[in-house]
Amino acid sequence: METYTSGTRLCPTKAPRSLMKWRKRVKSEYMRLRQLKRFRKAEEVKALFISNRQKIELRTDLLNEEWSKLRIQSIPFSTQSGSMPSKKQCSVEFGFPSFPNQAVAMRPLTTVAGIPFMYSWSPLQQNFMVEDETFLHNIPYMGDEVLEQDEAFLEELIDNYDGVHGDREGGFINDEIFKELVEALSQYSDQEEEEESTEEEEERGVRRSAGENTEENKAVSLAFKRKRRRVTEGSELPTSKKIPHDKIFTAIASMFPYKGTTEELKEKYKDLLEPPSSVKLPPLCTPNMDGPFAKSVQREQSLHSFHTLFCRRCFKYDCFLHPFHASPNVYKRKSKEIRMETEPCGIDCFLLQKGAKEFADQYMLRSQRSRRRRRQIRPSSSAGPAPSSSAEEGKDGDSDHETTSSSEGNSRCPTPTKLKQEDELVEDNEPPQQWSGADESLFRVLHGTYYNNFCSIARLIGTKTCKQVYEFAMKEVLIHRVPLEDAGISPQKKKRKHRFTVVLSAIVALDNSSNQVYNYQPCDHPEHPCDSSCPCVMTQNFCEKFCQCDHECQNRFPGCRCKTQCNTKQCPCYLAVRECDPDLCMTCGASDHWDSKQVSCKNCSIQRGLKKHLLLAPSDVAGWGTFIKEPVQKNEFISEYCGEIISQDEADRRGRIYDKYMSSFLFNLNNDFVVDATRKGNKIRFANHSVNPNCYAKVVMVNGDHRIGIFAKRAIQQGEELFFDYRYSQADALKYVGIEREVDVV
Amino acid sequence: MAPQKHVSDPGAGCRSSSGKTAGSHPNSGLMNAAKRPKLEQIQADHELFLQAFEKPTQIYRFLRTRNLMAPIFLHRTLTYMSHRNSRTNGKRKGFNVDDLLFKVDAKMEQDPHNLASHLQLTFTGFFHKIDKNCQNSENEENSVSLEVLLIKVCHKKRKDVSCPIKQVPTGKKQVPLNPDSSQMKAGLCPSIVVSSQEFEPSNSHMVKSYSLLFRVTCPAGREINGLSSRETNVIDEVPSRKKRYSSHRDDGETTFVAQMTVFDKNRRLQLLDGEYEVSMQEMEECPIGKKRATWETILDGKWVPPFDTFSHGPTLQFTLRWTGDSAERTTAPVARPLATRNSDTSGGDSHRPSAPKPPQAVAVKDPVSADMPVRREQVHIEPRQKLRVYYQFLYNNNTRQQTEARDDLHCPWCTLNCRRLYSLLKHLKLSHSRFIFNYVPHPKGARIDVSVNDCYDGSYVGNPQDIHCQPGFAFSRNGPVKRTSVSHVLVCRPKHPKPSLSEFLESEEGQLEQQRTYVSGHNRLYFHSDSCMPLRPQEMEVDSEDERDPDWLREKTTMQIEEFTDVNEGEKEVMKMWNLHVMKHGFIADNQMNQACMLFVEKCGSTIIEKNLCRNFLLHLVSMHDFGLVSTMTIDKAMALLRQGQQPGRNDSGAYDSPGQASRAAESVKTKA
Repeated sequence: METYTSGTRLCPTKAPRSLMKWRKRVKSEYMRLRQLKRFRKAEEVKALFISNRQKIELRTDLLNEEWSKLRIQSIPFSTQSGSMPSKKQCSVEFGFPSFPNQAVAMRPLTTVAGIPFMYSWSPLQQNFMVEDETFLHNIPYMGDEVLEQDEAFLEELIDNYDGVHGDREGGFINDEIFKELVEALSQYSDQEEEEESTEEEEERGVRRSAGENTEENKAVSLAFKRKRRRVTEGSELPTSKKIPHDKIFTAIASMFPYKGTTEELKEKYKDLLEPPSSVKLPPLCTPNMDGPFAKSVQREQSLHSFHTLFCRRCFKYDCFLHPFHASPNVYKRKSKEIRMETEPCGIDCFLLQKGAKEFADQYMLRSQRSRRRRRQIRPSSSAGPAPSSSAEEGKDGDSDHETTSSSEGNSRCPTPTKLKQEDELVEDNEPPQQWSGADESLFRVLHGTYYNNFCSIARLIGTKTCKQVYEFAMKEVLIHRVPLEDAGISPQKKKRKHRFTVVLSAIVALDNSSNQVYNYQPCDHPEHPCDSSCPCVMTQNFCEKFCQCDHECQNRFPGCRCKTQCNTKQCPCYLAVRECDPDLCMTCGASDHWDSKQVSCKNCSIQRGLKKHLLLAPSDVAGWGTFIKEPVQKNEFISEYCGEIISQDEADRRGRIYDKYMSSFLFNLNNDFVVDATRKGNKIRFANHSVNPNCYAKVVMVNGDHRIGIFAKRAIQQGEELFFDYRYSQADALKYVGIEREVDVV
Repeated sequence: MAPQKHVSDPGAGCRSSSGKTAGSHPNSGLMNAAKRPKLEQIQADHELFLQAFEKPTQIYRFLRTRNLMAPIFLHRTLTYMSHRNSRTNGKRKGFNVDDLLFKVDAKMEQDPHNLASHLQLTFTGFFHKIDKNCQNSENEENSVSLEVLLIKVCHKKRKDVSCPIKQVPTGKKQVPLNPDSSQMKAGLCPSIVVSSQEFEPSNSHMVKSYSLLFRVTCPAGREINGLSSRETNVIDEVPSRKKRYSSHRDDGETTFVAQMTVFDKNRRLQLLDGEYEVSMQEMEECPIGKKRATWETILDGKWVPPFDTFSHGPTLQFTLRWTGDSAERTTAPVARPLATRNSDTSGGDSHRPSAPKPPQAVAVKDPVSADMPVRREQVHIEPRQKLRVYYQFLYNNNTRQQTEARDDLHCPWCTLNCRRLYSLLKHLKLSHSRFIFNYVPHPKGARIDVSVNDCYDGSYVGNPQDIHCQPGFAFSRNGPVKRTSVSHVLVCRPKHPKPSLSEFLESEEGQLEQQRTYVSGHNRLYFHSDSCMPLRPQEMEVDSEDERDPDWLREKTTMQIEEFTDVNEGEKEVMKMWNLHVMKHGFIADNQMNQACMLFVEKCGSTIIEKNLCRNFLLHLVSMHDFGLVSTMTIDKAMALLRQGQQPGRNDSGAYDSPGQASRAAESVKTKA
């Protein structure tokens, strides 16, 4: 109501009549646009369907071809062979004599036994972490007739979420429609009132300044990952449109009061008009090193993507399991790696030049010094762990963003100018020897690794001799001394907030009971050793090789030195319910025999995925069941219970729906996370519950991750169905979720 | 074979009577409980009882009926039911294939000689169920007179109008009327021997066929059931030795006749050794010899009319033997009534000192060989006293019980006559595993505690090929195809403990008898986990989940990396390739990384060069080094390997660089040279 009045206030003179007219226009245009959109959507669906169809047909053809090659007999049509063939005719008779009777031989198909119900799921051999869903993706289907208690349940369910997916589009207009609507309406205004455009102009000038922040906010919220995902707004760039008449916005505002006031709408429109080019080339993106536009940038910038996206635990970029990747621990690198090449690589080697050796040694010292300095700088720049944990998330993110852009600014801006300057310099001395941007960047990258070993650097760059590299290095030292030291600040950016919230929650919960199991996060507190303030110590986890702490850290697990199979409590790993770490346990066999399935250590089956061949068939008990193909011994590893890793909150939300469905695949992993095999999983998810099971589940710490292993409780024959007790686990870490209730009902 | 030869089906025989008994548990249980005051309580109790026992009982009732109609196996073949088997396998030990020939030879030779043997008929009795009330108790009334005539039908000669028939009286005996099987002594049965001469074609007439005519004369007063009193002589020239014996109604006698062919007109012997029960007809009813010989099926306890006569007679029972020695008498077996006739067989409590036989025998018995298994079983024969079996049904967590007593050893569920307590218990235990049976000795017989088996596992343990015949999968015209592999136990020699009732006593510890299944392996049809399609046998070996990197996951990782906006395309390419590489090989350890990088160059080196990603790859290596995962040596080696692959295009250097860069690089090469 208020918006309406504010809208009318702007143009009080011709309020009643023209507004009515405009409103009518808005309405008709809106309807037209919506219809258009619906139509377009239908077309889209059609196209998708057709392309899907084609894919299916392609696949079918492939299968048919395969089928025809198979050595199988065709399936006989009829099973009863003895009876008369003439009897099995299906005929159609007509009342009119002119139509002949038609008859066709009947081909009875053999009955196919039905199979239990199954919701579709995706196969998975490793856990997959997913974020919490704040939006309900679909309203669960409870059967055709909606019962009263179901309705109550659904209401309660929707209350748990921020909203239901797809709700937005129904009621109000989204940005895309809004823009189109304004554009469509501006056609009317063009022919009508030109005279008023002048006064609009100045108004626009005033408001422009305020309208920058919305898009940015969005970018911040989307930059959940350190690296930004592309914003999915596909609005194409409109070609130089002036802001349409105010009346349009007034009319829209009166039609859709909940969308905001006239001014707000106008600002929004302006925002939408902003070219999306800024998104296309974000400031953080370094140009492709191998591409034609490669620029000369600092080492940290060149390696930024690789450093930030690489998961040191999975060895993958942007892995599925660990959303928070630690950046490399540069200062910890082993010093023996930095070996000085004293032998000249050839007659043209830089080492044969005068003063080269001295330079190298001096530079070596300097780099060590800089490393030490970096250590001091870090805590202040990257928002130290303890104080920032109290900060709000949103604020944290914002400030992070700010620092990123600022540091980005100061490290980035000067480079090109200097580059130019330096290019001239080079050209002055030796015209043919040109250093491209890529070469320079590469040099800086390699220089950080190889330091003064210019022979190696030259070999790796490939296009330069070591002498040239040496000369360039000399200049670099002169010119870039200052920015090089500055660069120590830039790499650590944002995205630490999540980890700290997790740790924080763990710390809070820690008081309740001591025998709970918490998720492991590599600790990173550079200045002090792992004491009682270390998150690993607090969560009663060992420090792993992923921690940033010292190798001699007291909290590190030493690994085992077994020469046997590591399947008794003699093995310290087994005793600590850990799998042998291939980088710690060097004697038991966990660290070699990579190619064979036969490993002497029996305590590394989960990490190696040495699961048994499982089969799926209708269970003797209920629904589907998991069956084992080959016989196994007692305590042998059978399979890992894989699925999506979700937070406990998410598990509560999902569990409510699963309970309703009476089928749940939730499995408590530790205090922080739950494995849900509903959408993704492996065959073991079909194993049924039994009070007298032949398998047991155990949560094992496997190289820093908690994972659920299913083991044989006794010797199991081939073809036996697998059961385990959903409620019980050895570590007692498996608090049941949901499923227990199902068992009770059944 | 004549239809009269009644082979009683072991299961079918006692159906009508005991089926009723089986169904009456709940009722009688109710009666037992009826003494208690509260009716509601009783009803609730009854509900509980039904809840526990109704379903399995129905299932077993159904299975019984199915097994009667289409038997899967014969009970007599079970070791613990071997007493139901009338034959022995004793001869098999000395069996020789040549024996078959000898046997046939001997038979061929004997065929003419066959006639030399005498036909010995031992009559067990004449059965005619008449109203008991009017049955006199006098001794003389307990027998009827029987006359056996041998009828020879001769070839018709030209002068004859019809076939000449000769009747040779062979003897007349008093045959007990409705004898009780148990009271009979072996030697007491009347017997008639027809000499072999009679069958020889000595006479002038060429005898076409021989048949026996049995003529039973009942004393008057027997026929009350409204039998028609008309007298008609069907056969005119009945030679009567005794004037009294005729079909005259005046004498107050009724005559029943029956005829059986001994040799038909092709001189084939129709009557073999065995026990026979002949249905008799009153003289006037139908012409002899025109008996309808039809096959009938016994269905479901409904008595088919032709067999109806066997249940209430009149029938004549006798044992027929062809013997070489007419004097031989003592070995003649005792014929007992058919099992169908009296289901309450255990009622007989008289002792038979000589014959160590079970109280019942099957109707048709090979008299020569019957003794052998019997003697062997004698070791653990039950005391022949009347045995009472109390079934105690425990339910509601073993807190409630109901007792039901039976006087026979029939299985209450499938009415199988087990005839021994041991067999009964064994049968219950093995065939009705939905229940738990525990045997408790009882002064009057036995008590069997019955409770529902909660651990009953109804899973199929047979051959999967029997239930899931996957059409077309097992056989192929193109050659052999794979079938689901199962292991059959062909020979199993389990340790048979000496049969003793103690094995049915309730054991303290839950004895987990390691019973080996006879078909082990994958006795079910498996399905693909992704498509729910049946798993074909040839696909058994492949684990559809074996791959660490399913398609969707590979696509997902590429998509996820593609989504980044501030990562350039060169970096993305390297990251994608590397991720796929790691996913494919599943690297898990830091110390694998050097090797992994080298492998990456080996596998993807050409792609890296092709896509012009060498420097990005170098960045990747340096980054790995920054994480402390690879050594500088690996960087050197990997890049050297990559350069090697690059070699051919390296001199002109344009392979991996932009045109402008290429010219510059070329220049630098020039300067170097």
